[in-house]
Amino acid sequence: MSQVIVGQLLNGVIVGTLYGIIALGVTLTFAITGIVNFALGAFMMLGAYGTWYLAAEHGLPYPLAVLVATLGTAVLGLVADRALFRYTRNDLINGLLVSIGLIAVLDNVVLMIFTATPQALDPPLTGSIGFLGVFLPKMKVVVCLLLILTVAGTWLALQRTWMGRAAFSYAQSAEGAKLMGVRTELLQSGVFVYSTALAGLGGGFYASLYSIDPTIGNLYVLKAVEAAILAGIGSIPGALAGGIILGAMESIGALYFPLSFRDAYGLVLLVLILLLRPSGLFAAQR
Amino acid sequence: MTRPRLLTVAAIAVAVMLPLVVKSDLTLTILVFSFLLAMLAVSFNLIFGFTGQLSMFHAAAYGIGAYATHIGMRDLGLAFWPAVGFAMALVTVLSAIIGTICFRFRLKAFYFAVVTLAFAEMARLVAANWHGVTNGTLGLTLTAKPSIGWPGHAIAIDNTLAWYYLSLTALAMTIVVCSRCVHSWMGRCFVAIRLNDALGDALGIDIFRYKLLSFCIANAIAAIAGALYAHFLGYVDPSFLSVDQSLAIVAMVLLGGKGRVAAPVVGAIFLTLLPHLIHFNAEVRAIIYGSILILVILLLPKGIVGTAAEWSRRRHA
Repeated sequence: MSQVIVGQLLNGVIVGTLYGIIALGVTLTFAITGIVNFALGAFMMLGAYGTWYLAAEHGLPYPLAVLVATLGTAVLGLVADRALFRYTRNDLINGLLVSIGLIAVLDNVVLMIFTATPQALDPPLTGSIGFLGVFLPKMKVVVCLLLILTVAGTWLALQRTWMGRAAFSYAQSAEGAKLMGVRTELLQSGVFVYSTALAGLGGGFYASLYSIDPTIGNLYVLKAVEAAILAGIGSIPGALAGGIILGAMESIGALYFPLSFRDAYGLVLLVLILLLRPSGLFAAQR
Repeated sequence: MTRPRLLTVAAIAVAVMLPLVVKSDLTLTILVFSFLLAMLAVSFNLIFGFTGQLSMFHAAAYGIGAYATHIGMRDLGLAFWPAVGFAMALVTVLSAIIGTICFRFRLKAFYFAVVTLAFAEMARLVAANWHGVTNGTLGLTLTAKPSIGWPGHAIAIDNTLAWYYLSLTALAMTIVVCSRCVHSWMGRCFVAIRLNDALGDALGIDIFRYKLLSFCIANAIAAIAGALYAHFLGYVDPSFLSVDQSLAIVAMVLLGGKGRVAAPVVGAIFLTLLPHLIHFNAEVRAIIYGSILILVILLLPKGIVGTAAEWSRRRHA
């Protein structure tokens, strides 16, 4: 029985890192541009389809396919930012609605091109690794580690670079940062595009683990928003931790309680945390 | 009479006369759907446009209203209207509980939206999984039709024309009730909460009570809209309670113009008619729908009615 628990827990953690990578995008976008970009789920789906299309249909090696798909997603992110989201800065509701509109457009464009038939990629890495008496597919472990490295890299980059200091100062006081010479418009666009690239990367990895269809992103972005809030908006390691907590909570919940209410266990946790620690688990309390 | 009120009355008069000209059953059917969704949007405007709280529970109240009306008739042996009353009571109690939790803990803005969304999702999961009562994701077929009048002289609402007048009456009553609320002491408290709740608190307004009141009234009206919509459609399933439905309501209100009692009607009619006016396949329709939503948000931030009002004021000035 304990093996089942460990296995479920590890699976939850792996899914949780996927939530976490999108949650990182959510938290960065919200802290810097003041909107919650629900379309990150659609960008994740684009990254997944891009990877699948390049790797399965055109025979590109998997790592290269993920890279190209991620860059492609970032370019689309840049277009979306310049054309649409530039006009919804710090306007939560309008940003939300524009991203809803964008989801409808992107999901259905993909649906028209690739139909609703789920697509799957041949796993780029086969075999499994034994860990604590549980066997995990190698690919899942690699993806999990790469995602953790990405979050850690982002965190380090923001801690150590001028860009990072600019972002933190902007989050504290937009006007102050502007007065100190931070090019706020560039910073906001940069963060927006980076978050779409993160979503694309998450999608690329997702495609190697599960089969994909045009609606995969919508559930993931909801989970990512949950994870970001649970951790506290603006906390970068928190976004990953929030994702992992959420993933683990759902897996363990599904083990002891009815499986069909799986999505509710994370929500219960989220509501409790918001009521007891309103600014999230890892953010500084106001 | 003020101009907005004159326009509203004129619009209702046109709507009453419309079936004399429009004989197409399909057109009337679409209009019934529009009116019932407009009712939903007008009630949502009370909590969102006036009190300034982005509730994501509205679609859940609408869906629960639909399910509870059916359950009231099937399991409690009630007639249609008492069953609607039962649904309203149930939704009001649930709203009071959820509202108390949210407002006692002073959840605001995005956090309020997320917690109400969480409760709405839980309600949807219950509807999707309580097979014995809700028949799960397959949904329920609803055959009961309401009737109007008193025993012996009841008019059965069983054709599209009857439904047209019933839904129009319901919408008009919703507008009257919401307008009464907004133009009263209560409505001023709602607006005070939106503009500056700390100041309102300092002036002696019981913020908690008025937020809760606004939340409960809006949700109770949504329950009626849900009961009527589901029984006109003849079907209810858990997608009534979905996030997408909540967002569609937000879109209707913003498209019409928030902060004006009857403006969401325009948004609701526009968004309901639109898919029927475009003769393309479902994907292209969804793409056009999304594009129009984006364009309206970016180009008409005050909504259709707000922009039109401003334009006419500028012309008269």
